[in-house]
Amino acid sequence: MPIELIKLIPWIPLLGAVLCAVCCMKPAWRKAAGPISVLSIFIPFLITCGVYSAASGLQGDDKVQTIYQWMSVGGFSVNMGYFIDPLTMIMLFVVTGIGSLIATYAMGYMKGERGYARFFMGVSLFIFAMTTLVMADNLVLLYLGWEGVGLCSYLLIGYYYEKPEAVAAAKKAFIVNRIGDLGFALGIFLTYMTYDTVSLSVVTSKAVAFLSDPNYIATSADLWIPFLLMLGAFGKSAQIPLYVWLPDAMAGPTPVSALVHAATMVTAGVYMIARLIPVFQLSPYALPTVATIGGITALFAGTIALCQYDLKKVFAYSTVSQLGYMFLGVGALSSFGGIFHLFTHAFFKALLFLTAGSVMHALAGQLDLRAMSGLRKKMPVTCWLMFAGCLALAGFPFTAGFFSKDTILAEAMVRGTGEHGSNLYFFLALMGLLTALLTAFYTFRLWFRVFMGPEHFEMGDDHGHSDDDAHGDDHSHAHEPHEMPWWPMNIPLVVLAFGAIFAGMIVHWTGWMEHSIETSTAQPAIALNIQTDPQPTPAYEIITVSNTTDTHDTATEHPAAATGHSAEHDRAHGIHILMMWISSFIALLGIGLAAYFHWLNRPLTDKVAAKFGMVVEVLYNKYYIDEFYDLVIVKPLRTLGHGFYRFDQAVIHGLVITVGYIPRLAGWSIQPTQSGKMQGYGLGMVLGVAIAALLVFKWAF
Amino acid sequence: MDLLLILLTVFPLVSALPLMLPIKAFDSRKTVWSYALLSTLVSLLFSLIVLYKFDFTNTGAMQLATSLSWVDAFGLNFGFGIDSISLWLVLLTTFLMPIIILSSLTAIKTRVREFYFWLIVLETFMIGTFVATDILFFYVCFELTLVPLYILIGVFGSDKRKRVEAAKIFFLYTFTGSMLTFAGVMYVAWFNTMLPTHLFAAAGTWSFDIQTLYLAAANMSLTEQSWVLGALLAGFAVKVPLFPVHTWLPLAHTEAPTAGSVILAGVLLKLGTYGLLRFALPMCPQAVVEYAWLIGIFAVLGVLVTALICWVQTDVKKLIAYSSVSHLGFCVLGLFALDADNTGAVGAVMYMINHGLSTGALFLCIGMIYERFHTREMADMSGLGRAIPAWASFTVFFVLASVGLPGLNGFIGEFLTLLGAFLSPANVLGYEYAAIAGLGMILAAIYLLYMVGKIIFGPLKVPDVHNDDGTHDLKDLNTREIATLLPLAAACLILGMLPNGMLNSLQAPVEQLTYSAKAVATQANDTFVTDANATPLRLAIDDHTPEFAPGIAPQLTDPTHAPLTKTAHRAAER
Amino acid sequence: MPETVMNSLTLSHFLMTGAILFCLGLVGFITRRNLIIMFLCTEMMFQGVVVTLVAFSRFHLNDTGQTFVIFVLTIAAAEAALALGLVVLLFRRKGTLDSLVWSQLSG
Repeated sequence: MPIELIKLIPWIPLLGAVLCAVCCMKPAWRKAAGPISVLSIFIPFLITCGVYSAASGLQGDDKVQTIYQWMSVGGFSVNMGYFIDPLTMIMLFVVTGIGSLIATYAMGYMKGERGYARFFMGVSLFIFAMTTLVMADNLVLLYLGWEGVGLCSYLLIGYYYEKPEAVAAAKKAFIVNRIGDLGFALGIFLTYMTYDTVSLSVVTSKAVAFLSDPNYIATSADLWIPFLLMLGAFGKSAQIPLYVWLPDAMAGPTPVSALVHAATMVTAGVYMIARLIPVFQLSPYALPTVATIGGITALFAGTIALCQYDLKKVFAYSTVSQLGYMFLGVGALSSFGGIFHLFTHAFFKALLFLTAGSVMHALAGQLDLRAMSGLRKKMPVTCWLMFAGCLALAGFPFTAGFFSKDTILAEAMVRGTGEHGSNLYFFLALMGLLTALLTAFYTFRLWFRVFMGPEHFEMGDDHGHSDDDAHGDDHSHAHEPHEMPWWPMNIPLVVLAFGAIFAGMIVHWTGWMEHSIETSTAQPAIALNIQTDPQPTPAYEIITVSNTTDTHDTATEHPAAATGHSAEHDRAHGIHILMMWISSFIALLGIGLAAYFHWLNRPLTDKVAAKFGMVVEVLYNKYYIDEFYDLVIVKPLRTLGHGFYRFDQAVIHGLVITVGYIPRLAGWSIQPTQSGKMQGYGLGMVLGVAIAALLVFKWAF
Repeated sequence: MDLLLILLTVFPLVSALPLMLPIKAFDSRKTVWSYALLSTLVSLLFSLIVLYKFDFTNTGAMQLATSLSWVDAFGLNFGFGIDSISLWLVLLTTFLMPIIILSSLTAIKTRVREFYFWLIVLETFMIGTFVATDILFFYVCFELTLVPLYILIGVFGSDKRKRVEAAKIFFLYTFTGSMLTFAGVMYVAWFNTMLPTHLFAAAGTWSFDIQTLYLAAANMSLTEQSWVLGALLAGFAVKVPLFPVHTWLPLAHTEAPTAGSVILAGVLLKLGTYGLLRFALPMCPQAVVEYAWLIGIFAVLGVLVTALICWVQTDVKKLIAYSSVSHLGFCVLGLFALDADNTGAVGAVMYMINHGLSTGALFLCIGMIYERFHTREMADMSGLGRAIPAWASFTVFFVLASVGLPGLNGFIGEFLTLLGAFLSPANVLGYEYAAIAGLGMILAAIYLLYMVGKIIFGPLKVPDVHNDDGTHDLKDLNTREIATLLPLAAACLILGMLPNGMLNSLQAPVEQLTYSAKAVATQANDTFVTDANATPLRLAIDDHTPEFAPGIAPQLTDPTHAPLTKTAHRAAER
Repeated sequence: MPETVMNSLTLSHFLMTGAILFCLGLVGFITRRNLIIMFLCTEMMFQGVVVTLVAFSRFHLNDTGQTFVIFVLTIAAAEAALALGLVVLLFRRKGTLDSLVWSQLSG
């Protein structure tokens, strides 16, 4: 397949979106939107697969495929161009592959909805933006994709726009993302100022050159760029402090939650940091910050997920938590770990959301864990599909999640031990392990609650998709949960389940992804001597440790080059093996605990929960973070707005009106002279002439 | 002598006259409307011919130039000429006019002749301001735009009681400001007559030719330049409007008929920024560099304060009106950025065009709602997305363009102006301005999505509908209304995806206009860099030499006499 | 007319006469409230100016002044016709010739 086809990848979904928009116009055309959208995502997937090997092998300038120049002013030039390297291909594979599976599922899930065409327009547009994001050859185009996915997320969360909570969630998502985007935009400005270009390939290669120059002194711009870009990543990937939008985003249709808010869009931040990792390495504080935020978010969101009753909310917090892992991974200089987890997570989280969607669909919108139990008999396929997803999420040995999570934790541990080890990473690795325990527990809490135990369910009150004739066949058994049809819903799930179980093994044993990352810009250029507690380094003179002085850490990053440093390599290998054992044990422990508390002995759980009522309450209310933000940011800003408006009206406009009164006052002051009596005017005239005459005489003679 | 520009300018005025003659056919509303539409379409055609004849290899030069003498004794001429800045703004005007007229068919039912007469007359004056190469001709057109708009607001406005008041405030406020501008202009002209004749061709005589006055103004001292800058700002900043002289705008917008609002937001506000670019920057370069920080602070304040004000509005139209103030803050910030590559100023010109398109379109959308419901209160309506989906789609589209979504037009201007401010030399603006003004991006999303959430999303709630024909069922956009919005949407998309042609054409003229101010800034900055220890941020701009002959060779009588100590001192504090 | 008297009459006498006439008219215009009298007073002021014009004309042996007088007289005649008509109209409106009743210009 010719490599040029890759340029078409973003535009096919865009065309699909336009066609879907056309389908919106007539009710009769609506049904066509689903297949169009699926095709518009599936064709790029085929192209991705077809050109995969050719594209991964591109060298040098061939990696940049330009379509046209988007904008240029003076030296600032932005191309509509794509940067194709193995990392791009992995991301494209995830986006289009998972995307077409989810879109196929959505054809069934959204059947009979009024906004069927509108939904698929959003999905296709999203794939356009997301593929643009991962293919962009420069930061501004990446920003286009970045904001584009934000827009689609806004439109899709707000799909049920008649529900106020969906509207609020959509708005919140867009605005919180915008906060991050501002940081991203400023990061782009600073990057342009520092590197004189926004091209990703040039920026990364320059950064690598800086890193490998032992005499290079990092500037304050180098220090700041990663932090500004990071803000964007935290917004998009829902990390502390900007994670609040993601759980609310579950107000959108479930396929959207699976596609946008689990598998693809939210991982954009991880992708961006991985892509620019040399730039991040230039600042000695950047990656530790990323790792710390990631680790904390993982644990924090994990605890919240423990006490949520809403099926999708549990998965949402779990997504935040897993994204935290990915950040921990890239923060620990293992962009392979981060991307690997991104890859596997896309499979199992999409699977989990879609199976949750099936449950929700079957129970007419019911999402409350307390209102369902023992659905194993009613929905056997969904039950076991979700089981596969849960295993992967919990990190059950040899499932996908197991390998990727283990890679991250082991890398963090490698960085946290040994002679260059830093305590920070050691603690982060321990936090990661604790989070793994929580993950296994809350995942299986949910699964046992839903599918095991005595059969019991309450139907939801969602008549959203039964008031349309297209869904007429559901009327007969609308009051009984039912299994989803194989096509188009369960077959994509089987594929995803296959990925959730085996993707990790394939990647781990074939090593193709590790190799791909090594040959992309995501490969950390050289390892830094990361300090936990920063030395009192002068802010503008951060010495990056060069290749030659730090071969030990380099070895862990370049397994191929590590033969000469077998001791360090062996240590890393040992840690990997050890972590595998530990995390297997933790996963099994978590699953066991969940089985005991939520399947075998539910009354005990209620007692325990009652005993720790306060804790459960706080966790259930998500640590009151939303309320806190509302109180500290939203309310004061709005009050400020009201204040400014009053000020504007009273003071600023008041001043204008006052100035307007000055001529009027002047008029009033001389008004009495205008008596209206003719003689008065005559006298005035005479006096005036007299005075004028006097003056003339005075000057003339 | 090329008559094309004269024709372009005068045609609307001439074609408007028959509307006021006692012609029987014009008693019908539809005939008048068709006639007006035809007239503006012909104007559009003329402007397209101008576009065709425009030589894009030499965008900086005043092309198709021609001149009619007015008062020879005082060097007064009707000078016509067009460079690419003017060209795009003229095209914006002629592009918006047919759309406005198309939208007014059902909105205006009384005094139809007068309405279209003044609307078309206004077009002449707007085009006149953009094509004038003679400052007094510019000024006359600039002032005369007030008259038609005064009538459009005062007679055709929405609320009988308030519209006259709003029209009065609009007229007096802007008029007062521009009287001071007139004083400034006259001072520069007088200054030219006082110059020794050997300096340049028209020195020492009365002349109002813009190029001549550039040369003259370059010889003014910093004090004189500061006063002239103050005088120019008095008129142009009110017109922009720059915070805190903006309060006439929300008033005028809320009372104006839809057509008036679109013209006001689309073109008339740009006269202010155009004036700043065309006159303030090249005429008072030293003063601009000296006071850019102050203007920048007001621009940033305007962006943030009015954005917050937008958020608490209940009247949709007022919200959009305040958003104009906020948006044009970015534009002013870009104009005064003076970065080496003109990113800011080119971005600002883009911003003018883009704001005209997207905000104009939003006013049209609101006008369509007002026609249906006779209310603009957000509390009265909700969930219109279900009831009138086509309207809702267009509105969301233009809101997104206005928010600055990449891929649509608003982004280009916003990104470039902010980038310009960010790259601006430390003694002019600087990155902190961009960082703080950037918060306006977030606030813009907040208030516009707040509006969308209130009126388009949410449970359906529709106020009483009063249709033309007395029926009460809510109708979605008809073909005419779609035809008004579709060209705007297409323009937004095209300028968002393919802005490069316009950007490239703008660089030469913008470079000419900012050249001397940048030279002053660079000089001052170099002094600063040698003074203070090298800053770790690479802020110094490169020595920049324009690739083309600048129309205005900076004729600073003595470059060192510019007292730059204050600037340097301020910069050193950073 | 005896020669001596003629000889003793200088330009100043004529100017003085003109000035006295003008001032009488002026004082009358300011102090009287009857519209007709006010009008007559303005006529008297005219005559004062006219006398001055004629005197200067004779003094400088230049006819321009006297020509101008003819013009003034003509205009005055026309104006008298118009003004008296106006006065009549005003009288019809209010039934009085008092100028104070017409003070709408009062601010």
